[in-house]
Amino acid sequence: MALVLNGLSIGMLLFLLAAGLTLVFGLLGVVNFAHGSLYMLGAYAAFEVVRWTDSFWLALVIAPLLVGLAGAVMERFALRPLYARDHSYQLLLTFGCILVIEEFTRMVWGVDFKAVSPPALLAGTTEVAGSVVTDYRLFIIVFGAIVSGLLFYVIEKTRVGVVVRAASQNSAMVSCLGIDVGKVRTSVFVVGAMLAALSGVVSAPLLPLKLGMSFSIIIDCFIVVVLGGLGSIRGAIFGALVIGMSRALGQVYAADLMLLLTYALLIGTLIVRPEGLFSVRRRSA
Amino acid sequence: MQPKTVISGIALAAAMFAANAQEAKEAFIVGGVVPLSGPYASLGTAMRKGVDLAIEEKGQVLSKPVRVLWEDTETKPQVSVQKANKLIASGASMLFGDGASIQTMAIMPVAAQRKVPLIVTGSAADAITGANRNAFTFRTSSQIHAETQLATEFVKKRKMKAIYIVAVDQQQGRAAADTMKANMDKAGVKILGVDFTPIGNQDYSLVIDKVAKSGADGVLVVTAGADSSTFLKQAGQLKLGSKVKIFGVGFDDNDAMAVGKDIAGVNSVARYHFSYDTPANRKFVEAYRKKYNEYPDAMAGNAYDGMKWFLEVVDKTGSWNSEAWVKAFENSAPAASVFGPRQMRACDHQAVGVGLWTEGVQNSAPLPAYSFKVTDTFQPTGLYPECPKS
Repeated sequence: MALVLNGLSIGMLLFLLAAGLTLVFGLLGVVNFAHGSLYMLGAYAAFEVVRWTDSFWLALVIAPLLVGLAGAVMERFALRPLYARDHSYQLLLTFGCILVIEEFTRMVWGVDFKAVSPPALLAGTTEVAGSVVTDYRLFIIVFGAIVSGLLFYVIEKTRVGVVVRAASQNSAMVSCLGIDVGKVRTSVFVVGAMLAALSGVVSAPLLPLKLGMSFSIIIDCFIVVVLGGLGSIRGAIFGALVIGMSRALGQVYAADLMLLLTYALLIGTLIVRPEGLFSVRRRSA
Repeated sequence: MQPKTVISGIALAAAMFAANAQEAKEAFIVGGVVPLSGPYASLGTAMRKGVDLAIEEKGQVLSKPVRVLWEDTETKPQVSVQKANKLIASGASMLFGDGASIQTMAIMPVAAQRKVPLIVTGSAADAITGANRNAFTFRTSSQIHAETQLATEFVKKRKMKAIYIVAVDQQQGRAAADTMKANMDKAGVKILGVDFTPIGNQDYSLVIDKVAKSGADGVLVVTAGADSSTFLKQAGQLKLGSKVKIFGVGFDDNDAMAVGKDIAGVNSVARYHFSYDTPANRKFVEAYRKKYNEYPDAMAGNAYDGMKWFLEVVDKTGSWNSEAWVKAFENSAPAASVFGPRQMRACDHQAVGVGLWTEGVQNSAPLPAYSFKVTDTFQPTGLYPECPKS
């Protein structure tokens, strides 16, 4: 049971991060290499909010808003002029953004590790089938499930979701209907950045905050997106849970084979179904 | 490219080289090759602070001012090699660095080929003064073998009957685990489990659960950097310390600050610590705090001590011949080390001295809120590997 709970918590953390990445790719067609840096920025912003207010819950609200603002600036002034160009320009630009965000973080917070504690309400532990699980891990599972449900609902069931999906399929047609496609794109990118930041805030009590903290997790995040299919929220949930459970199983039965197991899954998926298990099928004219 | 442009370029390069060579005669130039960006940026930054202070205190060497040229190795071995060559071409009389052992081992052949002494103060792989040693490389800091021996002594002292090992899945982690297993066999201590975790691991919860359920008296953790902090943070949240003694070979004050109150009672080998009470260390800590308004960490302390020691030796030779410096550094002892009495072994160029053992504590101002503190020392006999036969 502890294995399942820990696997779910790892999966939910990965989902929060991967959801933003897959959303931005699926709806804007941009592979945002800087997504991990926005995650790191979210974690550091949470550290700063907790330092000033001593409230993790405020950090959970304020940090994503701050990073969302940074995302809006990034999309409006850096990405938007490149939408019409080749994808390689977007890749280079987002790579450049990584360097800028890393350097900004170094200048503001330095190179020493920083710490954020879990809120007092979730600092305890619960015994599940003979194993101890922290309350904070249980919170991650519930929180991740709520966010995934909300995202799924908004994209699949609301008018906002219809507009966003339509803009990603045929932006010229949506524009003809009087909808400001630029604003739609900015909004999607901001939501992606906020999801990255949310993941950073939720990770902060589990991990030390340090420069480059995005690099190790962003690889897992890309694996999740490739497994699930670029652009699919449903796929991101599935991919994150698969990776989470494989990591949990690895820890228990063969910690030194954990990475091998993950990459074997990735290679297997690429061979059997290269477009990902839940890829969005696009209608061609 | 036009021939005229090529000739101009060569002429400019020659002029720059000549200018550097001229400067080499007017100053004793230290070539600092350290990671100032990338995952080990914090190590390089601290090393730089320690060296800058040592040079500031020393002032002159061989009646010439000392100047440091710093190069960022970006935590990449191939960049380390490029930068080491660049520094030597710029007139560096000696090299200092690198951060990670793999980077240090990459620049060691450069130092040997160019006959430029390399002072290592921050890399612990046994191979640096073992299988890969060379005539121009000296290590003034500790090594993994000695640190594992210290952990062994701790297990014996605490009369532990069984331990668990969690180590990073790379050469250093596996080497330390192997040494520890052999030592525990000899001491009659059972090993109840060994887990190798990938570098940059984000989750230790189930490994911690296994340790808690294993019935071990203690868990030896052989990790570094963020991995140590992540393990300790998650172990603290799961209250592992109340069931099992947590001790490591790589925990430091950075981990203490990242972990917070749960660091209390965690033990570790220390490569240096500001709380170690020697006259030279008190003086160093005071000067460091005055200059940087913070306490020195292990990287800064070792960098300061190693650099000061080598410059003292160079000065005493009265010669600009690097081979004379190497000869003089072998078997030398620093006038006043922060570690107390030490000696540089001629056989493998490894400095030997007292081993420090620390425990995590909560402090009040002006000390950092959480840090480690030296609680025990171990004499060097038996800590370091025997001198190689050839």
